[in-house]
Amino acid sequence: SMAALRFSRDWLVISSGSKFLAHSCGDKSDNQKPFVYDCSTAVKEPAPEEKGNDGHVNSKGSDRILAFTFSPSGKYFALIDDSKRLVLFRTEPSWECLSVRCLVRRCTSLAITHAEGQILAADKSGDVYSFSILEAEKAGELRLGHLSMLLDVALSPDDKYVLTADRDEKIRVSSLRSPYDIESFCLGHREFVSTILVLPNHPNLLLSGSGDGTLRLWEYKSGREVLCCELTAFLEPESAGSEKKCTVTRITHCTQGDYIAVLCSSLPVVHILQLDSQSLQLTHKQKILLEHRGWDISYAEPSSLWVLQEDKKEAALLYRLSGGQWQCIARPNGEKILRTSVHKRFLCSLFAESVGLESPYDSLYKVTFDNMGDYLRNKEVRLQQRKRKGEQPLASRETKKHCKNSQSSVQC
Amino acid sequence: TMAAAALPQKRYYRQRAHSNPMADHTLDYPLRPEDGWSLETVASLRPCFQVNLDNLGLGEGEFLITVLEVSPIKFSSSPRLQLDVLFSEAVMLTIQTTTHESRKGHYFNTACLIGQAKTCGPLKEFTPTQLSKMFFLFPDPHFKKTKHKWRIISSMLLAEYAYVLRLGGLVYTITDVDEVHDWMVKHFTEHPLFERVSLEELKSDIILDRLGTCTEEGKKVLRNGGKNFTAVFRRVEDR
Repeated sequence: SMAALRFSRDWLVISSGSKFLAHSCGDKSDNQKPFVYDCSTAVKEPAPEEKGNDGHVNSKGSDRILAFTFSPSGKYFALIDDSKRLVLFRTEPSWECLSVRCLVRRCTSLAITHAEGQILAADKSGDVYSFSILEAEKAGELRLGHLSMLLDVALSPDDKYVLTADRDEKIRVSSLRSPYDIESFCLGHREFVSTILVLPNHPNLLLSGSGDGTLRLWEYKSGREVLCCELTAFLEPESAGSEKKCTVTRITHCTQGDYIAVLCSSLPVVHILQLDSQSLQLTHKQKILLEHRGWDISYAEPSSLWVLQEDKKEAALLYRLSGGQWQCIARPNGEKILRTSVHKRFLCSLFAESVGLESPYDSLYKVTFDNMGDYLRNKEVRLQQRKRKGEQPLASRETKKHCKNSQSSVQC
Repeated sequence: TMAAAALPQKRYYRQRAHSNPMADHTLDYPLRPEDGWSLETVASLRPCFQVNLDNLGLGEGEFLITVLEVSPIKFSSSPRLQLDVLFSEAVMLTIQTTTHESRKGHYFNTACLIGQAKTCGPLKEFTPTQLSKMFFLFPDPHFKKTKHKWRIISSMLLAEYAYVLRLGGLVYTITDVDEVHDWMVKHFTEHPLFERVSLEELKSDIILDRLGTCTEEGKKVLRNGGKNFTAVFRRVEDR
């Protein structure tokens, strides 16, 4: 729900709060006007009655945009907001809202099939629903479910598999056509799996990022972990001891040169790695230190890296590859969006809505509390007491009392 | 004989019929099947790194003991992977005691494991198609409609059970709540990877009869004049 950006072939979309701005960046960019959409002006669909037995009514959310995605060709664009709405757009010949549909639960991530037939929406209760693109008003269908909150959903390039990442360390690979048929699980993360990415250059490989501070590469069809990269290893020793956890929140891939950029939340740093597709090794190339917390990153063809950081004035940064290093372009020539003052002012107001927001990932870490220690200690005391009493058998009343005591003392 | 080691009595141990499936419990579980089970996790004589003979899946304490006594299962484990976790310290100790002492043959390589469907599911403990039998015994009914998704049997979770169960493997369910029985039958029957097995077909099944009479819950139900509902399902290939 923080500010985010994403590219298609012709468009750059930046979202923050309830609004997004689509800026043309392709060949036809000169005669295309920017498109702005505000979810708070969207049609308020009557939410389906959702009262349980206990009369619980679901709370109404804000209109913040939670996630959005382009279809692979860039022809369609879909977003989900905090009021549990799925909004579908067409981007050609000009931007147009096709439909506003209701979701059962708040969603966390979206994916559109390569055939551009359906949108998959993963939600907080662990379910994935599919929505038709052609029948833009049709309600969603439940396709598969986890028992834990889903954080990301992705598709294999051949649309054969749907991949889902959850809050409880798991990545599930299911057949898209029959999602009840599980192909494999990619297991090994020690905390929530925040983001997954099937590499377009290597359709059998999956990258995943997690709250455990690692980036892992998988052969997802078999669930085999190819490599695990501890990102904390690349931090300076002085920041290594800090309390802040290294949470991978976004992975983006640059087809040219197989560069992989990884954004860690809470620590203002972007790691650049390079994948050697022959040996399947990841080499750490560069560490971009940001002045502020990073919101989002995205590669744009050909080889430019966009970074959004939590700053009203200089939120959007552009990096280009020069002499083997990614360098910040202070005065980008071709990039109108950073040059024109009208845009700049608009972006400032846009980003103001996301400044100061808490990272949604902080609350996902496991919080466990162990009362086993207390229980075992109490039991030890009990046993000692019994021993002191010697061989004397316990009266049944007393035994019961003991049981009761031990139970009440270990209630969560 | 050497029956010196008295069996532990359950009343001395903490017991929980059910626990909150959504809480983050402090459980020690393997991150993936290849990691195997640690000795701390499994109260058994030897750690099992690859379970591949006849396995038992979800079970319940006393029932496991009975199964071990009546059937020549070479290798079994009772991972308590369900949402409703019965605290099984007493069962673990029973197994430990008996493994050490008198009934050595019966309890060879038996282990108890407490797990949670949300974090582990059966899938972190078992490699695909590793199990031949799974038991869902008196699962938490979760009567409220909003809690139905917490039920251990749901169309979504069945996919995970199908993943660890081998083709032809059996799932046994028993409950004293007819609503829950209907619910389980409905979901298994509707699932493309399961089919219902008639109880006549399983006449020679030594376990089936004991589901109601050898489980603690089952005994309690019968004692109170209640009725137990049993159903069995087979893992089949995608229709």
